[in-house]
Amino acid sequence: MRQSLFPHPKSLLLVLAAALLPPLLGVIPGIPVGYVLYLVCLALIYAIVALGLNLLIGYAGQFSLGHAGFLAIGAYASAVLTQRFGWPFLLALPMAGLLTAAVGFLLGLPALRLSGPYLALVTLGFGLSIPQLVLWRGELTGGAGGLRDLPPASVLGLELRSESAYYYLVFLVIVALTLFARNVVQSHTGRAFIAIRDSEIAAQAMGVNLTRYKTTAFALSAFYAGVAGSLYAHLIRFISPESFTVILSVEFLTMIVVGGLGSVSGSIVGALFLTALPEVFARLPVLKDFKNLFIVVFGAVLILTILFFPRGLAGAWSTRTRPIPPPAEPAARPQEAV
Amino acid sequence: MSAPSAPLLELRGLTMRFGGLVAVLDLDLAVYPGEIVGLIGPNGAGKTTVFNCISRFYTPVGGEILFDGQPMTRIPAYQVVRRGIARTFQNVELCRSMTTLDNLLVGQHATKPGGLLGDGLRLPGARRREAKAVAWAEEILALLDLTPYRDRVVAGLPFGVQKRVELARALVSRPRLLLLDEPAAGADTHETAELTGLIRRLREQFDVSILLVEHDMAVVMGLCQRIAVLDFGRKIAEGTPAEVRSHPAVIEAYLGEKV
Amino acid sequence: MAWLTTLPWGQLIINGIALGSLYALTAFGIVLIYKTTDVLTFGQGELAMFSAFIAFTLLDRLKLPFPVAFVLTLVFALGLGAVVERVLMRRAQQGSILNSIIVTIGLALVLVGMAGFIWGYEVRPFPDPVTGPPFLFRVSPTQNLVLTQLSAVILAVTLVLMLLLFAFFRFSLVGIAMRAVAQNRVAARLMGIPVDRINALGWGVGAALGAVTGMLIAPTNSLFPNMMGDVAIKAYAGAVLGGITSLPGAVVGGLLLGIIDSVAGFQAPELRTTIAFTLLVIVLVIRPAGLLGRREIKKV
Repeated sequence: MRQSLFPHPKSLLLVLAAALLPPLLGVIPGIPVGYVLYLVCLALIYAIVALGLNLLIGYAGQFSLGHAGFLAIGAYASAVLTQRFGWPFLLALPMAGLLTAAVGFLLGLPALRLSGPYLALVTLGFGLSIPQLVLWRGELTGGAGGLRDLPPASVLGLELRSESAYYYLVFLVIVALTLFARNVVQSHTGRAFIAIRDSEIAAQAMGVNLTRYKTTAFALSAFYAGVAGSLYAHLIRFISPESFTVILSVEFLTMIVVGGLGSVSGSIVGALFLTALPEVFARLPVLKDFKNLFIVVFGAVLILTILFFPRGLAGAWSTRTRPIPPPAEPAARPQEAV
Repeated sequence: MSAPSAPLLELRGLTMRFGGLVAVLDLDLAVYPGEIVGLIGPNGAGKTTVFNCISRFYTPVGGEILFDGQPMTRIPAYQVVRRGIARTFQNVELCRSMTTLDNLLVGQHATKPGGLLGDGLRLPGARRREAKAVAWAEEILALLDLTPYRDRVVAGLPFGVQKRVELARALVSRPRLLLLDEPAAGADTHETAELTGLIRRLREQFDVSILLVEHDMAVVMGLCQRIAVLDFGRKIAEGTPAEVRSHPAVIEAYLGEKV
Repeated sequence: MAWLTTLPWGQLIINGIALGSLYALTAFGIVLIYKTTDVLTFGQGELAMFSAFIAFTLLDRLKLPFPVAFVLTLVFALGLGAVVERVLMRRAQQGSILNSIIVTIGLALVLVGMAGFIWGYEVRPFPDPVTGPPFLFRVSPTQNLVLTQLSAVILAVTLVLMLLLFAFFRFSLVGIAMRAVAQNRVAARLMGIPVDRINALGWGVGAALGAVTGMLIAPTNSLFPNMMGDVAIKAYAGAVLGGITSLPGAVVGGLLLGIIDSVAGFQAPELRTTIAFTLLVIVLVIRPAGLLGRREIKKV
């Protein structure tokens, strides 16, 4: 039943179409192919973060306002490993993911005892602290000036300098990570995540070890962000603390809310949509003079999505998402039970 | 005593307090293999607290809980089901966004272990376990007439069906002891009769012992070999249904209610 | 650890209290909204900032006297808060708690963007409500401790507001109704409490508190769309540190964070926020419901 690699012919078609994107763009006249591919790469990298964030929020029901911090850790890890220590990119990429996962695991530890507003705040503080720590360890991280001229990604001696080559790299990574995420959410581990989200009481009664699965969710989510960070660093080849603000964390949150909480495909669609949106708005005649318009747009999109499409874009085309149901009983604040 | 063997579950001097409020005081209770034991008492008598202590959601301030002779007063809540104790809840605690089938797969979390890598890479071992879990869940679904609801999200199911899904989810972990918290709540006379028959059948078929909290006296009197009565956290009587029914302290505790 | 004894502790603590009272003041609105509607709002700083801009417009463009502008801004904020509740929160709260938090984040973004659009991003001075020389406390022949008048006013307003709000929740019928709604929505409705109106009131009063905050912080931090950024984040931290439902907790948490900020800022300015949040995590791991909050046990 759920066994084949691509269960729907539709998703197989989508993957094929995406694989043909660079040559297809080339035949359309007047399109700045390099820039468009660069943007698509960036959107797909953000989509990887969104996938991980959705595993954490949409499935395991935890919260994070600090994912830009994980992205930063992955980016700096990869940059320092390749530039300072001469690691090959192909080794630095998974290492960035694993290092970030370890940090995610550590952040998951306080999360065990915290929920709701407390957890939101701790993750926010984490996201704020990472750029500060980067500035503090300037001799390693380049401080406020950032790290420049990072080595280009290379695979088995082949340097991926062109946008279309890099696009294929990002594309392969995201396909692999999407399949992994989809497998996880349909399995033992994913059901434990959802059980924790739906009812920690029920989850425990069924034998779900909250400690293990909450830290797993944080570590897994951070792994995705770490891999994305590595890809980000070698796409832009320049990183500085300013690239990883809290606003970016909020953007990731917006992506999964708009795409659909608890939807793997929604994470990707949300990331593509929200990366494209400011580009489109910046080209509209009246609106392009409106400085920082994207802030208002993100805010409005967040609000409107929650109010009118609580299941996100994914909810509109698919019945396979898992909406977070309202609580069984209208939120009575728990009292001590007798 | 009806059963000469060692008790499956034994509570020794169980005591639970919330702040200054004593919820359960010095409770001794045993469930022997194969037994259905009833735990009754007026509202607020501490019945659900006893369940929550056994499930390890609460840590009792005094006394001991033994299962199969092993102490389990200090184990974490998630290990209770591994020991062989499964439960249902008074107000139903299902994974509301999941389908009925997925709830029964979560129910096998403890008995069908798995790891992140095996799951994410869909390794053969994980696939085999998954297939087995689905097959077993489907067997239980059929047994409880839940097959038509297999792929329905449970949040949308009627309360009575949700209660049955919860019972199925408890059974699917192959427990040796079932804790049932008011299984007949909200059911009409016909459904109650059906439920009584079902519980009896499950006991036979799964060789499971049952500790039952229930307000419907017909269910309790009809099912249980032994009944313990709680009032203000204390056990005021214990015995066969007939003994309990005529016990003066029980009649006083239920003053006005027909026992 | 020699630096421990060489720090100018007296002045750092006074600075910390001055800073912390800004945090505490902002935290009040967050606590009030959480207490009445069970929503952690991330829009409080932005409501304060927006109100400060309204006050600025009334003062600077319409040349109204300060007390008039002050009252009009309060009325505006009260209305804005009630509208936010009526239009956004009532609908959002039908879903999970996450939905409500996300909507408040959206609200914050929209308010910042709108303020930037209407008033621009340049940093403007905001008129000082009090003028005069700072208070000096002579601690030794060579050393004075300095507290500006504005800081003194902010601290006084914070403490008075805390007492007023505390009394309001303890003794007034509306305050008790607000607590009842937060405890159990359904039961409160059954008791005849108009839950919707109470929620709107909670947001209205929360926003009005934000307006007071904004008008007192703008003279210190100047007026610009992101003026509340750091203060708001520390205010959330203070509110949570104190226990999110406790008004005295918000003051204790806010002042504590102010002092930590002041000392850490002196010793290691680049790690100010990191140190504050590290300490916050340590406190929360030991006391998951904050310093003065109570742990909730879920009934099953």
